[in-house]
Amino acid sequence: MAATNVERLQRAWAEPGPFVSAIATVDHKRIGIRYLITAAVFFVLGGLEALTLRTQLAGPNEQLLSPEAYNQLFSMHGITMIFLFVTPMLSGFGNYFVPLMIGARDMAFPRLNALSYWVFLGSGLFIYSSLLIGSAPDDGWFNYAPLSSMSHGANIDFYGLGLIFLGISSTAGAVNFIVTMIRLRAPGMSLNRMPLFCWAVLATSLSIVFAVPSLTADCLLLELSRKWGFHFFDSAHGGDALLWQHLFWIFGHPDVYIIFLPAVGIVSTIIPVFSQRPIVAHHLVVLATMATGFLGFGVWVHHMFAVGLPQVSMTFFAAASMVIAIPSGIQIFAWIATIIRGQPVLKTPFLFIVGFIVVFVIGGLSGVMFAVIPFDQQVTDSYFVVAHFHYVLFGGAVFPIFAAIYYWLPKITGRMLSERVGVWSFWLVFLGFNLAFFPMHISGLLGMPRRVYTYPDHMGWGLLNLLSTIGAFVLAFGILVIIANVVWSIARGAPAGDDPWGANTLEWATTSPPPNYNFATIPVVRSTDPNWDRAERTGDDQRLQAGELLLADGHETVETSEVEGVLERVLRMPEDSAWPLLLGGSLAVCFAGLIASSNLVAWFGVVFAALALAGWHFPLSLSEPVVMPDARPSGWWGMVLLIATEATLFAVLIATYYYLQFEAPRSWPPPGIGDPSMLKPFLATALIAASSIPIAIAVRAAGRSQLRTTSVALLLAALFGVAFLIFQHALVDSSLGSFGPRDNAYGSIYYTLIGLHAVHVAIGILLATWGALRVTRFDRAAAVTVRVTGLYWHFVNVVAVLIFLVLYVSPRG
Amino acid sequence: MIQGTGQSTLSPHSGAASTISSLWWVMLVGAAIVFTIVLALLFIGLLRRRSVGPGDRTRLRPGTTFVIALGVALPAVVIVCLFVLTVDALPKTSPNLTKGQLRIDVVGREWFWDVTYPSTGVRTANEIHIPVGVPVDIRVTSADVIHSLWVPELNRKIDTIPGRTNHVIFDARNAGIYRGQCAEFCGLQHAHMALYVVAQPRAEFDHWLALEAAAAPQPANADLERGQQILLGSDCEYCHRIAGTNATGTLGPDLTHIASRLSLAAATIPNSRGYLAGWILDPQNIKPGNKMPATNLSGPDLQALLDYLGSLR
Repeated sequence: MAATNVERLQRAWAEPGPFVSAIATVDHKRIGIRYLITAAVFFVLGGLEALTLRTQLAGPNEQLLSPEAYNQLFSMHGITMIFLFVTPMLSGFGNYFVPLMIGARDMAFPRLNALSYWVFLGSGLFIYSSLLIGSAPDDGWFNYAPLSSMSHGANIDFYGLGLIFLGISSTAGAVNFIVTMIRLRAPGMSLNRMPLFCWAVLATSLSIVFAVPSLTADCLLLELSRKWGFHFFDSAHGGDALLWQHLFWIFGHPDVYIIFLPAVGIVSTIIPVFSQRPIVAHHLVVLATMATGFLGFGVWVHHMFAVGLPQVSMTFFAAASMVIAIPSGIQIFAWIATIIRGQPVLKTPFLFIVGFIVVFVIGGLSGVMFAVIPFDQQVTDSYFVVAHFHYVLFGGAVFPIFAAIYYWLPKITGRMLSERVGVWSFWLVFLGFNLAFFPMHISGLLGMPRRVYTYPDHMGWGLLNLLSTIGAFVLAFGILVIIANVVWSIARGAPAGDDPWGANTLEWATTSPPPNYNFATIPVVRSTDPNWDRAERTGDDQRLQAGELLLADGHETVETSEVEGVLERVLRMPEDSAWPLLLGGSLAVCFAGLIASSNLVAWFGVVFAALALAGWHFPLSLSEPVVMPDARPSGWWGMVLLIATEATLFAVLIATYYYLQFEAPRSWPPPGIGDPSMLKPFLATALIAASSIPIAIAVRAAGRSQLRTTSVALLLAALFGVAFLIFQHALVDSSLGSFGPRDNAYGSIYYTLIGLHAVHVAIGILLATWGALRVTRFDRAAAVTVRVTGLYWHFVNVVAVLIFLVLYVSPRG
Repeated sequence: MIQGTGQSTLSPHSGAASTISSLWWVMLVGAAIVFTIVLALLFIGLLRRRSVGPGDRTRLRPGTTFVIALGVALPAVVIVCLFVLTVDALPKTSPNLTKGQLRIDVVGREWFWDVTYPSTGVRTANEIHIPVGVPVDIRVTSADVIHSLWVPELNRKIDTIPGRTNHVIFDARNAGIYRGQCAEFCGLQHAHMALYVVAQPRAEFDHWLALEAAAAPQPANADLERGQQILLGSDCEYCHRIAGTNATGTLGPDLTHIASRLSLAAATIPNSRGYLAGWILDPQNIKPGNKMPATNLSGPDLQALLDYLGSLR
C-alpha cells in the first residue's frame, strides 16, 4: 500500500525533462540550489575584487590600480557582497529548507518563487554587465548624493536601476516566505513550535517588506534626477543632499539585520543539534529575533552622526542603537547556555559556529561603541568601521553560512563533506579572517580613512595593511579549501543517510536528497523539536501505509491556521511554468532599455511583461480549488503584504515631500508658484474615491457567485479609473504651464507623487478588466482574484485621498 | 613629508581629542572584560564533560534565568555606562559657538580645502593656521559634493555638505602641525585630499595672519617679472587667484602666498621647486583626474614661472 502511495506521489510530482525543468521548474529545492550556486559565484567575484583591493593597499603608494578602477572595484565589492551574495545565499537556504522545516511540499507561491530567482539572476547580470563595459558603479554601495546624482556616464544608473530591479526579487521572495510560514506549516506546528531558522527568515522577510521600499524610492528619485533632470538632492534647486542618506539608511540599517538575522537563525539551528539538547529559552530567542528586526528601523541616524544633526536627535538615536545590545545579548547567552547545558560535539559545522561566536562578540562590542556619539564621529569612515562591520557581517553572516554548508549540504546532495578537510578549512578561515580584519581596527584608530585607493608612506599604516593583505589571502585560501571540499563531497563523499547529525527539525525526517514531494505524508508536529519525537515520526510511516495526509492528486500540500497550525484545507499548487522566466526576461528588457536610454525597448519590455502576466494568470492549465469566501487564503495574505510594501513606498515619498518642505530655504511652494486651485483636484479625487463603491459591490457579488454583477461592477470601476486618469492628465497639463518637474524640488516631488499614483491606477484598471473577463469567461474560483483586486483598489484610492490632502490641503509656508 | 605629523586618534592634542581617546581606552577595558566573560563561559561549556543520555534531552531545565541574568542585565549595565559616557563627552566635543573666538571658513572642493579668514579676508588652501589655546570655530561647507573635515588629533570629524554649514571647534593645546584628511568619499581623488593644521603661539599666528593678509609681493626683478607674465598670460589665471594681480580665478587653490605653504596639491607632494615643476608640467600624473590640465612650457619659461611662484611668500 505504501509503495503504491509513493508511486502516486512520484507521478504527481514528476519533473518534466531536463530542458523544460531548466526553464520552468517551480520546485523550491531546485530554485534554492540555483540561488545558492548563483550567490556563491557572486561571492567568488566579490572576493576576487577584495583581493585586488587588498593587493593595491598592501603597501603605500602602490600603482596596481588606477583611482577609477579602485573606486569601481570597492563599490562592486560592497554591492556584490551585500546585495548579490549574502541575502540571496540566505534566501537559497531559506528556499530549500523553510518548506522542509515546516513540513510543506513547496512555497506558498511556487511560480512567484521562480520569478524571484530569475529577477535576482537578471539584476545580478544587469549590474555586472557594467563591469564588462568598464563603467561599473563607482560611488560605493552607499552611493551618496550629490556625488552620485551629478556624475556623467552610466555607472551610477547601473546601481540605481539595478537595485530597483533587484528589489522586485527581494520583495517577492519575502512575501512568499511570510505567506509560506503563516499558512503552510504542518498540522500541529503552532507558531511557537516553528523552528528558529524559520522565525529568523520571517523577521528578515518582514524587514524586507518595510525596508526595501525606502531604497526603491531613493533609487527612483536618483534616476529621476539623473535621467530626467528632476531635483531632489541638489541644494541649488531646493533639494537636499541628506535626503539620500536618510532614505538610504532607513533601508540600510534594517538591511544589516536582513543580512544578519537568517545567519543567526542558522546558529540557533545548529547549536541545539551539536549540543544534543533543545535550545535554552526558545521563546526569548524568538522574541529577541523579532525585536532586533523591529528595532533595526529606529536607528538609521547613527550612520549620520557626522553630518551635523542636532544633538537631541542624535542622542535619541544613540540610545535606540544601544538598546539593540539587549536582544543580541539574549541570543548569545541562550546559545552559550545551550552549550553549557548540553553535550557539545565539535564537528565542522559547530566549529564554524564557535568561531562565529568569538568573532561576532568582538564585532558586537566594537559596534556598541559607535552609539557613543563622539567616538563614532571620530572613527566613522575610518578603517575602524571597516574592521567592525567585517566582524559583524563576515563574522556574523559568512561564518554561519559556512557552517550551514557543512551542516545542510549532506541533506541537499546526500553526501558528507570531509571532516578532516573541514577542520583545516575552519582554521584557515578563522585565522585568515582575524589577520585580515583585526589590524584594521588599529589602522583606523591611527587615522586611516576608508575608500582611499592609496596612502602615503609616512603615516605608519604600511605594516598593518600588509598584515591585512596577507590575512586576506590566507582567508581566500581557506575558502578555496571549502569549495574543494564541496566539489569532492559531491563526487566522492560518504553517503549521508537521512539524518547524519541526529537533528531536531523536519528536513532530517525525509531522505537525503529529499524527493520532489519532500514528504510522503505530511508530518504531524507536537513540539519544537519534531524530529526528536520518535512516536510522531513512526506515526508518519503508519499514516503513509494508511494513505492519510498523502495528498497525491497533484501538487498538493496543506494549509493550516495562521497561529495554531490547525489543518484547514488542502491546497492545490501550480506546477511547472515558463511564465516566470518570460516575465523576468521582459523586466530585464525593460531595464536594459532604461539603461540604454531607449524608450522603445523599455516599452517593449513593459508590454511583454503585461503579456507574460496575463499568460501567468490564464487559468485553463490550473484548476484552482474552490475557496470558502470567509477564509483568508494565501493569495489574500500575499496581497496584504504587497499593499504593506506599496504603502511604505508612498509613505516614504510623502515623508520626502514634507522633508523637502521642512528644509526649504524660502517659501513652499517656491516663490513664483501660486497655490494650485483646490477644486479640480478635489473633484478628481472624489471621482476615484467613488470608484470604491462598484469595487465593493463586485467583491460582495463574487463572494455570492453572482458572476454577472461582479463583472459589470468591475468594468464600471475600471471606467471610473479611466475617467480619473483623463481628468488628472488635463490637470497636469494645465499646471505644467506654471511649474514643471525640472524647475525645483517642489515640482519634482509634486509630479512624482501624482505620476506614481497614476501608474497604480492604471495597473488597477488592468486588474479589474482582467477580473471581469475571467469571471464571465472562465471560472468561479476567480472570487479570490476579485477579492484581492478589491483590496488593491481600495488601497490605491486611500493613497489618492492622502496625496490630495498632502498636496492641496496641508499647510504650506 | 612633514616630519612628526600623524593623524592618530590616540595622540590627542586638544581637550576634545583627549575626551575621545579616553572614551576609547575606557571602552576598550570594558569590552575586554565582557569579551573575557563570554569566552570563559563558552569554553567552560565546550570543555566540561557531562553525561546526559539522549533520552533526557527534552527534559533538561530550560535555563531561562541564566539567559535573562546575563543576556539582559549585562547589556543593560553596559548600555547605562555607555549612555553616561556619551552624555558627558558630547558637549566637550561639540561646537559651542559662543566659545569660538576666531572663525575660519573651510570649503571642501574636489579635491582640496579652500580656507578663508573672514575677519581679514585672508584666503589660502590646504592649510589652517590657528593660535594655540584659543577655541577656533571652523565653519565648513562644500562647493560640490560631500566631504568631511577630519583632523583626529584636534577633534572629531565634521561633514562638509553643499547647501549646509556645519561647525567644529579646533582648540589646540600644544603648538604643532596636525595632519587631517577628507573622510567622506568624494570621488576619484578622495585619497589625495589632506591638509595641515598649524597651531602656533598667538604672536606667531598674528604675524602669519598679517603676512597672509598682504597682497602678493610685486616681482622684484626682470626674471620674476617674466615669470608673472607667463602666469598671467596663460590659462592659470582662470582658476587661480593671486591677490594684487589680474589672476582672480576661484576654482583652484589661492596662490597669493603659495611659497609659504607646507605642501602642494592638498598635502599630496612637498612644496619644493622640483615637485612644483613636476606638478605644473603634468598634474594628471601625480593626481589623476584632478581639474588642472597639463602645461606645455619651454625650459626657460618654466624656470621663470617657478622663480616667480617661489617668490610668493
